[in-house]
Amino acid sequence: MTRFIGYSIACLFGLPLLVGLAGSILPAVGLMPQLAPGNGLLQLFQDPRFWPSILLSIKTGLTATLLVLFVTVLTLVCAHGTRLWGWLMGFMPPLLAVPHAAMAVGLVFLISPSGWLVRLTSTVVPGLDRPPTAWVVPDSGGWSLILGLVIKEAPFLLLAAAAQLATINVDSSLKIGRTLGYSPARCWSRLVLPQLYSRIRLTLFIILAFNLSVVDMAVLLGPGNPPTFSVFLLSLVNDPGSRAAASAGAVLLAAGVLLVIGTVLVLEVLVAWVAGRRRESGHRGKALNAFRRLGQVLIASLLALSVTSMVMLLVWSVARRWRFPDALPSQWTGDNWLSRSELLLNPLLCTLTFALFVVVVTTASAIAWLESERFNKVPKLDWLWYIPLLIPQVTLLFGWQALALLIRADGQWLTVAYAHWVYTLPYVVLILAVAWREFDPGWNNAAAVLGACYWRILFRIRLPLLIKPVSQAAAVALAVSVAQYLPTLLLGAGRHQTLAIELVTSFGGVDRRVIATLAALQSLLPLVAFIAALGLPKLIFPTTHQSNASA
Amino acid sequence: MQALKVSDLTLRLPDGTYLCKSLSFEIEPGAVLALMGASGSGKSSILSWITGTLDSRISAHGQVWLGQNNITDLPVEQRCLGLMLQQDYLFPHMSVAQNLKFGLRGGTRAQRQAMVESSLTSAGIKDMANRHPGTLSGGQRARVSLLRTLLSNPHALLLDEPFSRLDTQLRATIREFTWVSAASLPTLLVTHDIDDIPSHAQTLSLSDHQASSTATNTVEPHHAG
Repeated sequence: MTRFIGYSIACLFGLPLLVGLAGSILPAVGLMPQLAPGNGLLQLFQDPRFWPSILLSIKTGLTATLLVLFVTVLTLVCAHGTRLWGWLMGFMPPLLAVPHAAMAVGLVFLISPSGWLVRLTSTVVPGLDRPPTAWVVPDSGGWSLILGLVIKEAPFLLLAAAAQLATINVDSSLKIGRTLGYSPARCWSRLVLPQLYSRIRLTLFIILAFNLSVVDMAVLLGPGNPPTFSVFLLSLVNDPGSRAAASAGAVLLAAGVLLVIGTVLVLEVLVAWVAGRRRESGHRGKALNAFRRLGQVLIASLLALSVTSMVMLLVWSVARRWRFPDALPSQWTGDNWLSRSELLLNPLLCTLTFALFVVVVTTASAIAWLESERFNKVPKLDWLWYIPLLIPQVTLLFGWQALALLIRADGQWLTVAYAHWVYTLPYVVLILAVAWREFDPGWNNAAAVLGACYWRILFRIRLPLLIKPVSQAAAVALAVSVAQYLPTLLLGAGRHQTLAIELVTSFGGVDRRVIATLAALQSLLPLVAFIAALGLPKLIFPTTHQSNASA
Repeated sequence: MQALKVSDLTLRLPDGTYLCKSLSFEIEPGAVLALMGASGSGKSSILSWITGTLDSRISAHGQVWLGQNNITDLPVEQRCLGLMLQQDYLFPHMSVAQNLKFGLRGGTRAQRQAMVESSLTSAGIKDMANRHPGTLSGGQRARVSLLRTLLSNPHALLLDEPFSRLDTQLRATIREFTWVSAASLPTLLVTHDIDDIPSHAQTLSLSDHQASSTATNTVEPHHAG
């Protein structure tokens, strides 16, 4: 039974991945003419937007990923062990939980010519009574998108790196390196980072794949003409005559991501060889305290930018009158929240329905999988969970949409929920796997010799003792579901207006205060979930936590 | 070589408990001072303070000298102290030879290679140069760790229970290797095992100094014969 459940979960998860790839490849090569007529590649190459959008995606995706890596390394070298590090570790999880679209909207409210930074500047610079015309957001160079991707993805890589620091004895490595005469920066570059990189490589590749193929942030922060490649493909897929071109582009995008990942792997060998040679030189380096302080200022600025973006959403959502160049609204109101319930309530309910379903089903299926794995009924398949995170969403979803159209399942609630489940399960399994695999089997044995059956052990022993990681995984599931834009858009056929869909489609054409309220509401859901994940375990199993605390 | 001198050291925990008060001692080159005391008595904290890696929550007053140089306020990497801990901390992403070269200061590529080879030969692990730390035995790891420390040309050696993770038979061999290798350096050994202390060492029990001590314990080298 356990084996059957385990393999069912793997199949339900793996089959859509195969179907998604097939559903993109077949129309691309002309094997689904009834759905996608014509030569997709030829259509794609003949489109004047093709090369500019590819170049823009390469520029924004690679630059953003390099900057994410740079910011992460800079933070480790300049902030680890300082008070700033404590602040960062406190702020990162909630920032990570904020949906991409909401963060993008907050950033626009901050850095656009009529944004808060210019308004704040106008209080000290006289004559700035109109928004400057020197720049626009989104800009044609894609720099707003790059900035958005950096402030959204850097916390992801930084938290992944921070989680690994304990496994490589970073404090001891630094201590030994420094007593051998090496400067702190050299200790990081020669002792810690080479060990750390291999542990965060996969996270970096996930970020790379995301940055090269992101859609919602690119719609909000990226240029429109040409758009990024994935946004360009999205415009093609909705036109039946261009479906083959869209599919060909989606396959090209996946191939491009794999090519870039392959290139990075080759570069790694080169960098490791050079680093090995430099390591043997014995050069100790100098302690550059000024550089360290400069790095801290830069990191603090990026943190402030992220936090202020979120504050902007809240301020705009309670503003009645906020004329340029006032630094704050002249009139405040709660009407944006209260009197627009018809605008907010439906998307909220739609979002919550998907999210709650996904939380329950994903958590249950992740636990079922890990239990099967614990009894050796299924092999460890960690690589499987990473696949949808490494393949561009556009590639898989075009395929799913093609199949959904063929079997008339598009627009169905269950189709969309299934897609949410596929994109949520990897995070939940990978989070729970650590706790599940490290759980002391002595607890099971102690209960079993007392006569407890499997289910009693699971519900009375394992789950109460593992309630903290289970709650956190459930909160992550909710956050991931709330943020899903493309699966809901492509499979929902316009019938499911979640907050993510409403926010992206309304942006630019609707009052800023409404947009801010939608974005704030979308951000609040995962935050509430994370707060609940901290508090609920104590409420549900108070004795477990008392005994843990006293242990 | 220069003497290692600690003068008037007071360490206090955040809750106000004193780990030591006005502790002073001086270790001449070639001498060994064994710092003993129960767990939590502050032995390792004293050693961390000397290296400059003391937890910032512990308040510390005192001075540390290497010969005529006051190194109290110098950054860790400029103190020229060799440190060996309970765990060997051989860097797992480097081979044995790379670990040793990491300790070396200066020299041409050929000179550095020659120094690594001669030190491995002297330690009886000549063939281990290209092995990775994970493939070495406990004793081999301990030797490589000590060699790496010594190749960095330290002016004093600080040992924080470096033998405690080794099995009984190996301990005697590694102890002997350590005392011979570090014969010209002032050495401070933190241990709670009396067997770790070489016969020529002086012992300072930390509990004797928790109340107060103003006397300077000068430890001079042992001259055989």
